Amino acid sequence: MQYPCGIRVLFTICAHSVLVFECFGIAEVRMKGIVFVELIRMAEAVLGEEVVDEILDEAVLETDGAFSAVGNYPCKELLTIVEAVGARTGLPVEALHVQFGHWMFDRFVDGYPAFFEGKADGFHMLESIEDEVHVEVRKLYPEVELPRFDTERLPDGRFKMVYDSERPLHHFCKGLIESCMAHFDQAVHLDMRDYTANGRYTAEFLIQKAA
Amino acid sequence: MFLGDTIPTPTTEVSRRRYDRQMRARQEAEGLLEAKSRELYEANQRLQKLLDTLETAVKERTQELEEARSAAESANEAKSVFLASMSHEIRTPLNGILGMAQALQDSGLSAEQEQLVNILRDSGTLLLALINDVLDISKIEAGKLEFEAIPYDLSDLRDAMFNHYRLRAEEKGLSFNVSLSDAANTRIIADPTRLKQVAGNLLSNAIKFTETGFVTLHIDMKSTCAGDPVLVLKVKDTGHGIPQSQQPQLFQRFSQANASVTRMHGGTGLGLAISRHICELTGGSIKLRSESGAGAEFQANLLVKHAPETEKEEPAPTQAADAGISFAGLRILAAEDNRTNQIVLRHMLKKAGPPALTIVGDGEKAVQAWQQGGYDMILMDINMPVMDGMEATRQIRALEHEKMLDPIPIVAVSANAMVHQVAGYLHGGMTGHVAKPISRDKLVNAMQAALAQCQRSLE
Repeated sequence: MQYPCGIRVLFTICAHSVLVFECFGIAEVRMKGIVFVELIRMAEAVLGEEVVDEILDEAVLETDGAFSAVGNYPCKELLTIVEAVGARTGLPVEALHVQFGHWMFDRFVDGYPAFFEGKADGFHMLESIEDEVHVEVRKLYPEVELPRFDTERLPDGRFKMVYDSERPLHHFCKGLIESCMAHFDQAVHLDMRDYTANGRYTAEFLIQKAA
Repeated sequence: MFLGDTIPTPTTEVSRRRYDRQMRARQEAEGLLEAKSRELYEANQRLQKLLDTLETAVKERTQELEEARSAAESANEAKSVFLASMSHEIRTPLNGILGMAQALQDSGLSAEQEQLVNILRDSGTLLLALINDVLDISKIEAGKLEFEAIPYDLSDLRDAMFNHYRLRAEEKGLSFNVSLSDAANTRIIADPTRLKQVAGNLLSNAIKFTETGFVTLHIDMKSTCAGDPVLVLKVKDTGHGIPQSQQPQLFQRFSQANASVTRMHGGTGLGLAISRHICELTGGSIKLRSESGAGAEFQANLLVKHAPETEKEEPAPTQAADAGISFAGLRILAAEDNRTNQIVLRHMLKKAGPPALTIVGDGEKAVQAWQQGGYDMILMDINMPVMDGMEATRQIRALEHEKMLDPIPIVAVSANAMVHQVAGYLHGGMTGHVAKPISRDKLVNAMQAALAQCQRSLE
């Protein structure tokens, strides 16, 4: 069956979102291989192949670091690789997650520009994750448990988004939000507060116009 | 500080470890894709199977429907044929009854006998009207109702309706009037029989259901938005009216306002359905304005054509039928197989002349008798044993042509009186046609017309 272009793009984007957001929800969830491929691609772009090879050789990975875009792999392998990159480079893991968020957002924009059309601004785009993207993801993968993204428009043009998941990927999420606002040419100040407790990762993002 | 501050250049050689990793990822991807491909293939097979099943089901269902439709159609066709042949079969003895009633009337009766014969004739006429209604509705259902298109003066319609219904209205003590607007005082192209049928049905109903007051028919000409001429027949009465709730089913066949009406007034309930169909077949409509207890107004709109202005009426040779017409000395050959009809024919012609009448029982005998010569006209039944009237006519015309004889007028006398059938008779060499059951007026008119036509063609 041939879907109209827009719908097809939406489905594909949703599949990506699964890769990105799936790992927030289920303990032993297997993420789409494209995320791992993109993570390694980013690492290679900035560190070079040899360094990445060494990192992958040293890390303890079920997969031995062999990922294909069409496979599915345990979510914790992603965290392990990011940690290994951090250990190797001496960079904080959180900053790496943020950077990976930037990278993935760019992949979305490059691959599926049509999906962003019709969105008035970054807030509109963020609001559509819960109401449009996740709705479609659930149609494709009924069993998936997704993180929650509660959004709220506050007085004075401020915007609040609360991330709630079983996976510690709130910094990755921060990277996505930053890129999203930049994409819509919105100069903002983003404040993240971490409310993580009892193995439940919760973060509140407060976005306001840059002074 | 972020990742990416330094960008190393890729090396030209690839390590064994990297190669192994890439190979493993590739094999895994190929395995996954192979499995996915098989899955898709199987799903596609299942869909194909489902599609085949569905197509077969659709084919079977279509065939079933087709069979059901053709069964229904042939049943309906059988019904139409049955109705047509029954009505033909009923008309033949009816011809005898009506003909004998007329013969009796002509035989010098006492006042009391005259009254009895009148009842006999009226009942026969009513029965004939009912049969005609049934035949009409079966023709309408079969899509075979035909319309003639001949010039007709609407003042004739006014006169015919007035003369026909005045007595009936007066008998009930109703005031009765038929009016013609200035616009309608004109000549149109239409089927006069069908116009009279619609106006007659409406008037007959109005008189039937009105106890006191008046019944009127107003004939008018209007035009549609597109400028086509419309004949408007408006029948008003002061009867008990028709409640709104019963109006919708009024124009359905076999339906009267309610069952008690049927018990009280009789009738088949076909008249309004036929009238509606006639109006609609011309492109017009029929409307009813009525409230319970406040009389009713029916308006029939029929699309007609204006007759060309220049065409001047030829003095019809068929006007005064009964009185004064004489066929004395005329030698007539009649082919008619039915004994009763033979007697009817003989009585009908007794008052007109009478001519010298020879009757034979089939077409072959008619051809033989004609060959012996000495006849001025032939009255030809259509359905006869041995040789039918059409074949006999064909043979006579062929012989006339061969021997260079003047054509003899041949009048078809038949109960098969549909427009295309009559056209077939004329095309087959007949000079004219008269429909059974025959009345003397119709027969005499048809004979005169045939004589006149043959004379004209000789001049």
